[in-house]
Amino acid sequence: MSRYKQYIPHLRTYGITLFLLAGFAFWIKIIDVGSNWQQAGLTTFSLGFILLAAYITAKILRIAELPLISGYIFVGIIAGPYMTGFLTETMVVRLRLVDDLALSFIALTAGGTLQMQFLRKRGKAIAVNIFLLILIVFTLVFFPFLFISNRLILMPDLTYSQIMVLACLLGVIAVARSPSSAIAIINECRAAGLFTATVLGVTIAMDVLIIVFFTLAMTVSEIILGTGTAFDFQMITVLSLEVAGSLVLGIVLGKGISLYIERVGHDLPLFLLFFAFSMFKASIWFNHVMETHFAISLHLEPLLICISAGFSVQNFSKCGHIFMEGLERFALPIFVLFFSLAGASLNLDALCMTWPLTAFLVMVRAIGILGATWFACILNNDPPQHRRIAWMAYITQAGVAIGLAQLAQRRFPELGVYLTTLVLAVITINQVVGPITFKMALKMAGEVKQE
Amino acid sequence: MKVTFALLIIVFLVFSGYRLTFRHFRLPPFARRFYLTGIEFLLLGLLLGPQFLNLVDVETQKGLAPLSALLLGWIGLLFGFQFEIKKLRRFPLEFFLAAILEGLMTLVLVFAAVYLTMALCFDISDSLTMVVAITLAAASGCTAQTGLAFLSLDSIDKHQHTVKLLRFISSIDGLCPLLIFGLCFFYNPSTGSDGLWLGGLWQGVLTSLGGSFGLLLLFNLFISHSRLEKELILVIIGMTMLTSGLASAVKFSPLLTNFFVGFWLVNLSKDKERIYQILMTVEKPAYLLLLVFIGVCVRFDSIWLVFLALVYCLYRVFGKFLAGFLVTRLNLEFKKYPNQLGFGLLAQGGLSLAIFLDFQQTFPSRISTLVISFAILAVIYNEFLSYYFLERLFKKGV
Repeated sequence: MSRYKQYIPHLRTYGITLFLLAGFAFWIKIIDVGSNWQQAGLTTFSLGFILLAAYITAKILRIAELPLISGYIFVGIIAGPYMTGFLTETMVVRLRLVDDLALSFIALTAGGTLQMQFLRKRGKAIAVNIFLLILIVFTLVFFPFLFISNRLILMPDLTYSQIMVLACLLGVIAVARSPSSAIAIINECRAAGLFTATVLGVTIAMDVLIIVFFTLAMTVSEIILGTGTAFDFQMITVLSLEVAGSLVLGIVLGKGISLYIERVGHDLPLFLLFFAFSMFKASIWFNHVMETHFAISLHLEPLLICISAGFSVQNFSKCGHIFMEGLERFALPIFVLFFSLAGASLNLDALCMTWPLTAFLVMVRAIGILGATWFACILNNDPPQHRRIAWMAYITQAGVAIGLAQLAQRRFPELGVYLTTLVLAVITINQVVGPITFKMALKMAGEVKQE
Repeated sequence: MKVTFALLIIVFLVFSGYRLTFRHFRLPPFARRFYLTGIEFLLLGLLLGPQFLNLVDVETQKGLAPLSALLLGWIGLLFGFQFEIKKLRRFPLEFFLAAILEGLMTLVLVFAAVYLTMALCFDISDSLTMVVAITLAAASGCTAQTGLAFLSLDSIDKHQHTVKLLRFISSIDGLCPLLIFGLCFFYNPSTGSDGLWLGGLWQGVLTSLGGSFGLLLLFNLFISHSRLEKELILVIIGMTMLTSGLASAVKFSPLLTNFFVGFWLVNLSKDKERIYQILMTVEKPAYLLLLVFIGVCVRFDSIWLVFLALVYCLYRVFGKFLAGFLVTRLNLEFKKYPNQLGFGLLAQGGLSLAIFLDFQQTFPSRISTLVISFAILAVIYNEFLSYYFLERLFKKGV
């Protein structure tokens, strides 16, 4: 208890600050907002409010040794459309602009964090982890879900094939992780070491592989449902081209960033902000143009481009540390906004509707991760402590999983409602629990340098 | 998508343009004058706007409105930081009085002229006439230092006292005009009705004072503990957004509210230097962004605008000349400065443009677009006149 006494003055200040912020939020909510300028004011205020409230809440939760991003997510949930409604659904959608910027920014950081020498050293361990995670998590989600869905007749309007496809897609999505959360927590703890680097490598590589794995699953699902005729090799070729193209483009752009740092050097944080933002939008625009004007379905993946660009600056130039410092300068506001908005998007209604099934899925996924990481640690001869804690680092899920669920919903609208609802509910739990367990794991591994 | 695309183009142009304008570009004197004042960014905004390329159409402008509010807040905060009492006291009190009087007198003269002209020549409601006259007069009262930036070192050396006074005046003479501009927001012609001004005024003053006090308290709570730089950046961005958003939502000026917050911060906060450094990091890109946003709002759809701009410019020039002259007659000490002090105060600059943007966003109408359009043209006239009159001042001066 005495440990916490030192925080009392801080807590008092934080409490008053939050109270004042809440007062302003209440005031603005009772104002009759009519004109466009007032609406814009409301949006600007909401962004400012979220930024500050999340920052302070995270500081409070940090006293209880919870990760900062849990604080950001918590404020997002409270302010979001499903609790207080301070941020309406329309507003959350409108603020997605921040998501695009943040994701690219986080991807640049992710790439910059990966070091070639380490990858060479731990490449095999990362590959083993990924293989086992995909295999065991998919199997443990797919078969039990198929079994209980049939036994308990949870989805009476779906045929057996449809349930099988649903189980398959849920299994694939269960493999997805949240690189953004991982990077945010590693940054917060200034964690470094064998365990941290393996987790980071697995998480980022998984982010790339999950797209390939998901595309395969979609093709198999089409065959099961009878909408696809045979295994589509052309699709796999296009996908490989997309991944390779994104990686190469990223390396070229990374070279551009290095040149900028070496030749110009000024205003690097501003330049990187602009780069991150434009990269996301330019990829979407490019994909759209290729599809509508040339009828070519070649999708460049903005996150891959940014990861590759960050990796290239860090490993193929001399200005890696300047690059990381530049990213660091604006990283905090971006992380805060991104995770708060992610919190606001968490669907509590979906969770309330499906909680028994959600709890089951969360549990089997966690068991799958535990099994996979346990075996991987044995195969890699990792320290015994890592065996026990590695699973805690892979729980978090976020945007990628939602994105995949939405893609699947578009392709199989008849399954969409079930899939999206379940995925959103599972993510709600994993996104809240995951950062906490990850931080605990980093501490247990003894790789936390600074808090 | 269009909002994002437009934002990307604007940010790219501003970013690259800022480097060219403020850093590495060497041009002949005439072209430099054009570049240094940033007029090209006004034209760029005009080009991107609905009148030409329509990349930033009316809907996109609505989407970008939160950014405008943030921008105005940032400029307001920066302006507030110019009023650090400790630093101002290093100058003689007469300097301060001269700056305040000069701004106020110009404002009064231009207000009278604009109000009378509008009342006699245009058929618009009394409330709107009042708001337009206050806005134009307030913008007239502000001076920028861009003109002084063109002076040669030799000239500065030769007339250092006058240059010092001119620099001082042009950095703070926007105080009274900005405060008086705040009156417009208690008299919103789109919602208020004529004759209720005073009632609304007191309520508005109390609300904005209370709000500003609350925001200031909040800001102080955030910076009461020592913060890392990245945390301070978050707090400044967050607080500027909060303040600007609140001001816009209650139909008040984000520029003025943030000015109050900036003023108190610079005088009360221990972290003022660090905050100022952070604010200055994006000062120039923010200024250029302001120019583009203003340019987007402009519509040159009548030749009459050229004439109206000329009339407005003449009112301002006359106001500045007269106010400058009266300042030199303040006391014996000021007699050592040239009578034509107003010649050195013609450049209009950033604060005026921020006032125009604030006005345009709060009172969107056909009239406000018209007013902005000729006022911007007048700003350009003023920029060119300022160079000519500065040369005259220093040829004829002390």
